[in-house]
Amino acid sequence: MSCNETLRTQSWLDGELDDAAAVEAERHVETCAQCQAVVADAALVGDAMRGMTRHRAPAHLRTRIGAALDRERRPMRGFWAGAASGGGITALAAGFALFLFLPPTAATLTQSVVDAHGRALTTGKTIMVASSSHHTVKPWLAAHVAISPPVTDFANEGFPLVGGRADEVAGSRAAVAVYARGRHQIDLFTWPDRGAKLPQDGMTRGFRSTFWKQGDLDYAVVSDIDAASFAKFVTLARAQRE
Amino acid sequence: MDERRRRFEALALPHMDAAYNLARWLSRSPSDADDIVQDAMLRAFRAFDGFRGGDIKAWLLTIVRNCWRSSGAAERRRGHTELDEDLASEAGGPEDAADTASRRRRLNAALALLPEDFREALVLREMEDMSYREITEITGAPIGTVMSRLARARALLRERIGNEL
Repeated sequence: MSCNETLRTQSWLDGELDDAAAVEAERHVETCAQCQAVVADAALVGDAMRGMTRHRAPAHLRTRIGAALDRERRPMRGFWAGAASGGGITALAAGFALFLFLPPTAATLTQSVVDAHGRALTTGKTIMVASSSHHTVKPWLAAHVAISPPVTDFANEGFPLVGGRADEVAGSRAAVAVYARGRHQIDLFTWPDRGAKLPQDGMTRGFRSTFWKQGDLDYAVVSDIDAASFAKFVTLARAQRE
Repeated sequence: MDERRRRFEALALPHMDAAYNLARWLSRSPSDADDIVQDAMLRAFRAFDGFRGGDIKAWLLTIVRNCWRSSGAAERRRGHTELDEDLASEAGGPEDAADTASRRRRLNAALALLPEDFREALVLREMEDMSYREITEITGAPIGTVMSRLARARALLRERIGNEL
């Protein structure tokens, strides 16, 4: 028996279907062995690809491109071209360098938390203190990261606390409370607010992320769980109090 | 720095890693990837006045892909199955456990050895989080082709990584 719906199933997994079609696709998968295999294989491939190298542009290349862009200036005319050439190039170079050292933008923040989450998953160093008790995790974080965010076990709501770790977000020390949802992991990041503009909710390399400010801390949640569970967890996390 | 350059950098530079990652997986060579990305950023800068908003990441990746396809390197490397010389050495940082690093190496090799169309579809979808519509724009392939390529690419990669996970 061969199923004609495998491409629709794949589209569903890739988040390409509208709500009505997604419900249909999900129902179909419940009863179709071939589509269940598509789902399992896609999950395996997703896991495998998260374990592969996502190459980053090397610093020498960024420098080379900055210099090449400098040479792309529109030609200036006559006297002013000669007078301005030396200073102009210095100013352009300085401008380029400045840009690279600005505080983290929204895009780099998203990148940074997703990288931190991915790094933890791929190195297996997701948890430095394993405990389901906030009485253990909270003081550990306070001692190791000097940040003391609220930590709550949401086991009754389906998100058991499994531990914590010290990490880094865009160059700043960050506390991470780690939660489990089935085989998936949820990282709740906290770091001192430095006035950076926070990114919008998004999906990066298969990981959902959301950010908010509360008091003098910035928060982010990163995970690859489904949208509904993600939203539920974020609601719980945001409602925590000291 | 003039306003146009500033705007270009603000919009394009955040996607330099994505551009490089695609160039690197297409060419499977660090030096070719450098040349392709530099060429692409310059072309993008020159064409920037024609960029009318929309998704800058997809626009940049389209240019990267075109630069790769029109480069001599693409011709030279087509059908050539040697691995990226750096894939192995830079696979894991020093903090990686040896088995994590070697797992990463084996996974990288499995992707590097897929046919180019499949490799491209998977990198765009799984690593760069591009939608079908965006992959259609970047590769110029019709949506049905994008979907079947992805399905075949996943099946093939699944088969090749076997019990790696």
